[in-house]
Amino acid sequence: MSDIKIAPEGLEVARTLDAKGLSCPMPLLRTKKEIEKINSGEILEVLGTDPGSRNDIPGWCARAGHEYLGEREDEGFIRFYVKKK
Amino acid sequence: MSDGLFKEKVKNFFKILCQTEWNATAAGLIVALLSILIMAWWRPWGAVGAIRNWGEWILYGIGIFDAKPASIVVSSGSVIGIGFLAGAFISACLGNDFSFKFPPPWELVKAIIAGILMGIGSAFAGGCNVGGMYNAIGNLAANGFTMWLGLVVGVVLGLKYIYWEMEHITWGTSGGKNFDFPYGLKILVGIVALVILIWGAYYYSGQSDDYVNSLSGILLISAGLGYTMQRGRWCMVQAFREPHMTGDCTLAKSVALSILVLAIGAAVLKYAVPQRGSAVAVQSILSEVVDDIDPDEVKDEELADTLEDVVDAADQAVIAARRTLDPVNYVRGTFGWGAVFGGFLFGLGAMFAGGCGSGTLWRVGEGQMKLWLVVPFFGISNALMTKWFRAIHMEGVGPTHEGSKLGMHLYLPDALGYGGTIALVVIAMALWYIIVDWNEDSNKLIVEM
Repeated sequence: MSDIKIAPEGLEVARTLDAKGLSCPMPLLRTKKEIEKINSGEILEVLGTDPGSRNDIPGWCARAGHEYLGEREDEGFIRFYVKKK
Repeated sequence: MSDGLFKEKVKNFFKILCQTEWNATAAGLIVALLSILIMAWWRPWGAVGAIRNWGEWILYGIGIFDAKPASIVVSSGSVIGIGFLAGAFISACLGNDFSFKFPPPWELVKAIIAGILMGIGSAFAGGCNVGGMYNAIGNLAANGFTMWLGLVVGVVLGLKYIYWEMEHITWGTSGGKNFDFPYGLKILVGIVALVILIWGAYYYSGQSDDYVNSLSGILLISAGLGYTMQRGRWCMVQAFREPHMTGDCTLAKSVALSILVLAIGAAVLKYAVPQRGSAVAVQSILSEVVDDIDPDEVKDEELADTLEDVVDAADQAVIAARRTLDPVNYVRGTFGWGAVFGGFLFGLGAMFAGGCGSGTLWRVGEGQMKLWLVVPFFGISNALMTKWFRAIHMEGVGPTHEGSKLGMHLYLPDALGYGGTIALVVIAMALWYIIVDWNEDSNKLIVEM
């Protein structure tokens, strides 16, 4: 699919969701649920290990109208950043 | 200057082959091609054959089964599984997707439930999503369509369960752990695995027994399937689930197209190849010649015997040629409630697992430990159900499943001819495509959270 988007450093995160170890479709569904807990314009950070999330999260953002800010690789997991619409 | 450019191009080549995720349509077409190739080589592929064989070994090991199962490296079903796992593992290593991903405890409970549901469901349907649906429709078997229906219902119910679970279950839903390795090490291990795979294929092809040396091709083509499906994250559950979850229909469209291409390829193999096979040509010439000779007029007894032997040999050759592309392959006696119920249980189980039969195997290859737990339970429950079903003739007797209680054995070209069957598959896959495409924009089939 499309190339990986790298998120900028130093983003101010309103909430962090730990989805490490979860596999399809849980990371995406948890993200969908967790984003309800923050306000519009705030940023949700999702920690994940499922490579599938690289497509699932940006794809859902495009469909739901949220802004996908990108990902950052960390030690053994990936940080995904979503800005609520 | 040009030196640096060439190096960059080599790097790009590696990137496309091993690192970027292949798009769904391309992956689906490659899977269809490999599925046709493995049929041309010998037999269609599947996931349950392997998983059941491994389940039988577990049951034999703990003393529940008395009879020793077929050897893991000789049973064609198991070799398909081994090749598939190897391909997926190699892809995951070279692409930096492999790591030991341990899920939170509740996911492991779901893994056990999933394995049991999928094991039982595939027994009723006569196969998993691959053997009971994908390769079934692909092999022009009517039971493939009924399992498809069951899968739709099972997946929707599974999705409703997951939504319910997210609201009501909090125990054991966090705390997953990931054990990763340096990418360089993964590449090395991946290459070693590839070398062992190729060695394995050569080893098989060097054996004198025809059956065993054919396993070489089975091993390699299955590895290609595993590699492709992991590299493309090509998952049939996603095809059934996503339209109802987010509306996305990319996987669904690619599966529909893949099945269509497979069905056309299978029809060509099953109809055209035996017609033109040299065994048939020899046999028909021989029967013409022999027809002109009255056996009673042949005074030389030896000559008469030889003639009989030659005709026999020609008949045998035709039978053998036809068996390679045997129409009964993947046609099960489950066209009816068996495949629908089986598909329902299997779809539900696949939602608990987060992967179908093939999806489970390639996720095992990338280190998703939840799916490692699914496999033994899937294997054991399917082995037990299959043994019980055989004992009570649940699916009837013989290769045409006479007297099956699960439904009918229906090879579609017998009822509709090859042309009619292809037309049916085209219409069915086109409808699937159009409906999921329509749903992507209208969202009418989405199950709300």
